[in-house]
Amino acid sequence: MGNILALVQKEVRGYFVSPIAYVLLVFFTLLFGWFYIASLNLMLQLSGGNFGMGGPQVVNVNEFMIRPLFGNTAVILLFLLPMLTMRSYAEEKRSGTIELLLTSPLSDFQIIMGKFLGALALYTLMLALTGIHIAMLFQYGEPEWGPILTGYLGLLLMGSSFISIGLAISSMTKNQIVAGVATFAVLLLFWIINWIGDASGSTAQSVLAYLSILEHFDDFSKGVIDTKHLTYYLSFIGLGLFLTAKSMDTARWNG
Amino acid sequence: MVEVQHLTKRYGSFTAVDDLSFQVERGEILGFLGPNGAGKTTTMRILTGYQPASEGSARIGGFDVFEQPIEAKRRTGYLPETPPLYPEMTVFEYLHFVARINDVAPGNRTSQIGAAMERTNITDMTDRYCGKLSKGYRQRVGLAQALLHNPEVLILDEPTAGLDPRQIIETRRLITELAGDHTIILSTHILPEVSQTCQRVVIINRGKVVAVDSPDNLTARLQGSQSLYLKIDTNGVDPVPTLQGIPGVVNVSSADYREGLSGFQVELAPNSDVRREVARTVVTNGWGLLELRAQQMSLEDIFLQLTTEEEPEHEDVPQPGASSPAGYEKPTEERIDG
Repeated sequence: MGNILALVQKEVRGYFVSPIAYVLLVFFTLLFGWFYIASLNLMLQLSGGNFGMGGPQVVNVNEFMIRPLFGNTAVILLFLLPMLTMRSYAEEKRSGTIELLLTSPLSDFQIIMGKFLGALALYTLMLALTGIHIAMLFQYGEPEWGPILTGYLGLLLMGSSFISIGLAISSMTKNQIVAGVATFAVLLLFWIINWIGDASGSTAQSVLAYLSILEHFDDFSKGVIDTKHLTYYLSFIGLGLFLTAKSMDTARWNG
Repeated sequence: MVEVQHLTKRYGSFTAVDDLSFQVERGEILGFLGPNGAGKTTTMRILTGYQPASEGSARIGGFDVFEQPIEAKRRTGYLPETPPLYPEMTVFEYLHFVARINDVAPGNRTSQIGAAMERTNITDMTDRYCGKLSKGYRQRVGLAQALLHNPEVLILDEPTAGLDPRQIIETRRLITELAGDHTIILSTHILPEVSQTCQRVVIINRGKVVAVDSPDNLTARLQGSQSLYLKIDTNGVDPVPTLQGIPGVVNVSSADYREGLSGFQVELAPNSDVRREVARTVVTNGWGLLELRAQQMSLEDIFLQLTTEEEPEHEDVPQPGASSPAGYEKPTEERIDG
């Protein structure tokens, strides 16, 4: 455990001494803020549009503001999270420091967990910063707690899936740009995988719809924790970490 | 302490290490010598658990590096060819991280880091970023990293590469000092390094062991192929035919010519010492004998001989005679670079 903690701290430190952490935090909060204002405007229009018929309507903040906002956040993450994981293995392989980790008394599991939890820590910080915006909604409105918390849980699970795939891809190359682009492409594919479903048969469509990574997020933002979606994300994370382990093993044999 | 048995590593059809076996005793310094691409780094990477072998086994302190990697790695300190430094960490932070991943107890970390920094003479660099260090300091931080957790076995891949002459001498002294408590395997292609620091040498070429012995013994065992350097004043007479006539002399060639004096290289048959006969011949012919000395083969010559195919360009290398001494396999094609 102590070893994993040392690795996690090293990863987090690495993010903050390089510009990556700041770039991610700044642009994530900027984009989140932008979508926040956009959703806010949309909600105000919806409630203001009914002025003629007996004054402003009470609009459900969760349904008309927070849910679309979380949906948009998922898309921002699709673009930003590949940058979080692209250097984790690639840079160590390029600079040779991976040799230090692999010849120290560490198991592959410890190394993977160190990298995964390190990236997750920074991602959690990104999400935590959005809490300020949500807190303001509580100041001026009366949103429900439940869907917000499950929404964050969903974002956390989805982000972890992105991170695990990102780690797997980063562990396959020495070039962080390649890792970043490939991760983005794979995640994008998992987002749009159900778009071709319409023309194909119903079975294929439901399979593709099940694979789509954003499809499973919607229920979380509605306040529903469905084991089907939970299983999906946890399997996705497991698969990503498993592929990372396999890739480390392959790299070892091929030297 | 370190046992390597029938180690083989293949990459596809290419065999990088071929049936390598050797042992290193506790407290010994073993030099791993070979031309570039001979398989030194691959062997070291297998020993440190970075790569698995295709066949054979390697044990460190009794622990198989493949079966019980964590135990084996605990007992090993490793300095790879390029020191594995994180540029964004200071020297102290880096060593602290290394101490943590090597399970150094929290109470001992500061003292062990201090000791390692003192031994490698980097105490004045404590708060420098690793990325800003000169090549020499990087190498020393790498060395500090390797010996930080007091491993029983130190594996150093070209520890003096890129250092200036003074640092090289310091590093060699450090390695010699460390030998008492640690078993050391170091690789190099710099020959004097081996004769100065190592008790035993493994010369490998194309992944195969060509010779294993102490530097002195290696030299001694090839004494059979000795040659003499002779400087005489013959007053213009060509002494070569006369000298060739001495039994035991294989060949005489002109070595240098300075201020009217000729120096000759006299090659002798294996295990024949004909210095007396040569001196007598010179004196009886009325020539002036100015210099006569036996030339020992340096480790460099032996290395070249063992790893190089005999070719005319290498006339300056003393040839061992028609048959190579027993116990040495003569490699076939490989030539060393540069």
